[in-house]
Amino acid sequence: MSQDEYYRGILDRISDAFIGLFVYLISTIRKGWREKNRSRIAEWKLMFYALNRSPPGVIGLFLVTIFVFLGIFGPLIAPYKYNYFPIFENSKTYLSPPGEFFVLGADHFGRDLLSLLLQGARTSLVISIIVILLGVPAGIILGLIAGYFGGKIDELIMRITDMFLAFPPLILAIAFAAVLPDRISYLINTYPPLQQFLLWLFALERTEGGNLSRLLAVMIAMAVVWWPGYARITRGSTLTEREALYVESARAIGLPSSKIMLRHILPNIIGPILVYVTLDFGTVVLTEAGLSFLGLGATPPIADWGRIVYDGTQFFPNAWWLIIFPGFIVFLDVLGWNLLGDALRDVLDPKLRRSIEFKVKKVKKSKTKDMEIKEVEHE
Amino acid sequence: MSKKILEVKNLTVHFYTYAGIVKAIEEVSFDVFEGETFALVGETGCGKSVTARAITQLIESPGRIVRGEVYYNPDGERLNLLELPDEEIRTIRGNDIAYIFQDPQSSLDPLYNVGYQVSESLFVHGRVKSIKDGIKKAVNILRTVLLPDPERRVSNYPHELSGGMKQRVTIGIGISNDPRILIADEPTTALDVTVQAQILWLIKEMKKRYGVTVILITHDMGVVADMADRVAVMYAGKIVEVAEVTEVFKNPVHPYTQGLLKAVPNPLKKIERLETIPGTVPSLINPPSGCRFHPRCPEISKVCKEKIPELREVKKNHFVACHNR
Repeated sequence: MSQDEYYRGILDRISDAFIGLFVYLISTIRKGWREKNRSRIAEWKLMFYALNRSPPGVIGLFLVTIFVFLGIFGPLIAPYKYNYFPIFENSKTYLSPPGEFFVLGADHFGRDLLSLLLQGARTSLVISIIVILLGVPAGIILGLIAGYFGGKIDELIMRITDMFLAFPPLILAIAFAAVLPDRISYLINTYPPLQQFLLWLFALERTEGGNLSRLLAVMIAMAVVWWPGYARITRGSTLTEREALYVESARAIGLPSSKIMLRHILPNIIGPILVYVTLDFGTVVLTEAGLSFLGLGATPPIADWGRIVYDGTQFFPNAWWLIIFPGFIVFLDVLGWNLLGDALRDVLDPKLRRSIEFKVKKVKKSKTKDMEIKEVEHE
Repeated sequence: MSKKILEVKNLTVHFYTYAGIVKAIEEVSFDVFEGETFALVGETGCGKSVTARAITQLIESPGRIVRGEVYYNPDGERLNLLELPDEEIRTIRGNDIAYIFQDPQSSLDPLYNVGYQVSESLFVHGRVKSIKDGIKKAVNILRTVLLPDPERRVSNYPHELSGGMKQRVTIGIGISNDPRILIADEPTTALDVTVQAQILWLIKEMKKRYGVTVILITHDMGVVADMADRVAVMYAGKIVEVAEVTEVFKNPVHPYTQGLLKAVPNPLKKIERLETIPGTVPSLINPPSGCRFHPRCPEISKVCKEKIPELREVKKNHFVACHNR
């Protein structure tokens, strides 16, 4: 028990230091921000304390932080480039096992698996962020409109949502991902800035310009099947929230519906949506890996976790590392997001959080009492 | 008598629920004169709030305004509020006709501070250039509604204020745009008695200062006696009696009004038990035929079951909907 508390104390101090740093950064840009937002800072600290009370949540946050870090800096710290094929220089690198030439072994082009995984972290992160950015706002807006206006509009939107939900999302995504690339490649080729931006996002070289359309197709395909879940939960929360008196008073002072939805209803229901987004990040990563495992999406030489596994299947029993390592990475990434999402559910729900906070305060008080007693004893 | 600022004619609102059509209010008509306090009285569920909300089309689905006209007569114009498109009714809401709702605990958005919410209502009607600008004005508004220490309170969130303070803020939001009509929907129900008195005094004070017409919705006869100039008594979605306040209290004509007043404790008379009206409020899905009060009425006659009574003038400015008077 005391051991537990000791570790939590360390975690609390780490999170405090982190928030302190963040606040310091903001207050250097905006003078007086710290003084104005004292209660907000205290609330952040309490949120982290609440998160620190749940070990799985801390593990989740840790994993997610690592994967986001790898997603951003992975391609830069990778020892080799993803499009460097050692097999042309040294044929022994062909499927070389871990430790022989490279730490985690090599694939059938002799490429370093570690570098591929690091590059793949970027691909996976960018795809999941873009899918969430496209799918979630669409779902939220449709859900808000359906829930707020009700009646026929609600029926129409929700029945369309039901239609999308009734369709197996993976199959729909496969269909889209198979059909879209031709059209998208035209779009990408006609807008060079878009192509350049995407290349920069995925940390790819210019020569991969032609393969972008397939990546983009996968993202769009997933975004298309991703919104219905959000439309549903947003509508549900909106239905309860629009009955609230403050929504009625907002209407009574003459606010237009759009402003009521975005300024008053959305902020009040964002908590559960955020939890859902966090949980969904893992699902997006998994679905994306699944799609590229099926041969859609990333094409060699673009590194992608699902694709590495797909290429590895043909050499499986011998070159086991090509399947085990990427599979394990995907597993850890998805696990991280899910653990974090579960913990966030507790942290973002003010009622649940209060109960955790009170425990925090009690522990602190009893600590100070112990200290006092000790001091008295010393005297 | 001064001019009519609001005329409500044959207002009918139905709610289309799974259980059936709830006829919340049926053929409600009344006039409100400029500068007076008009009280709508009745028990829970008789349609007072629905009437008030229907005036500016605030009825939400599944409810619908089936028919009726609401004329709003500001300086020489005559607007039918129920026919105005969404854009125009929005400029009326808050600006010309403002509301104060029942429960101050929930009528403020918990996520914004008080200053923002007052400022927002100014901003919507273009009284300030930005929400930030409006905060300064909000301080002044909160000072007029006697919120203590308004400079500090503007940055407080609703949960940091007491019920009475929140109601002051909602009144502040109500008067922020200098409305012609203030509709107070049971402004004191959620408050304790001393705070009730303060809030009622504040509404009176605002009325004196800004000359605003007040429509007061309440079930509290004490509040009515204290505040109102004229009273409309509602029962099961219909108005049964309209008269000056003294007239209603001294010579109630409709049996329902009489029963209602007998149910109010009188400190000057010593009685063993308060009288009650027998029976319960009828279901509004299948309201009683004829006069809606007839199943509970002590003076029922045959015509009551068959014909719907119309509002008739029994004395000057005293209207009653009853066959037997």
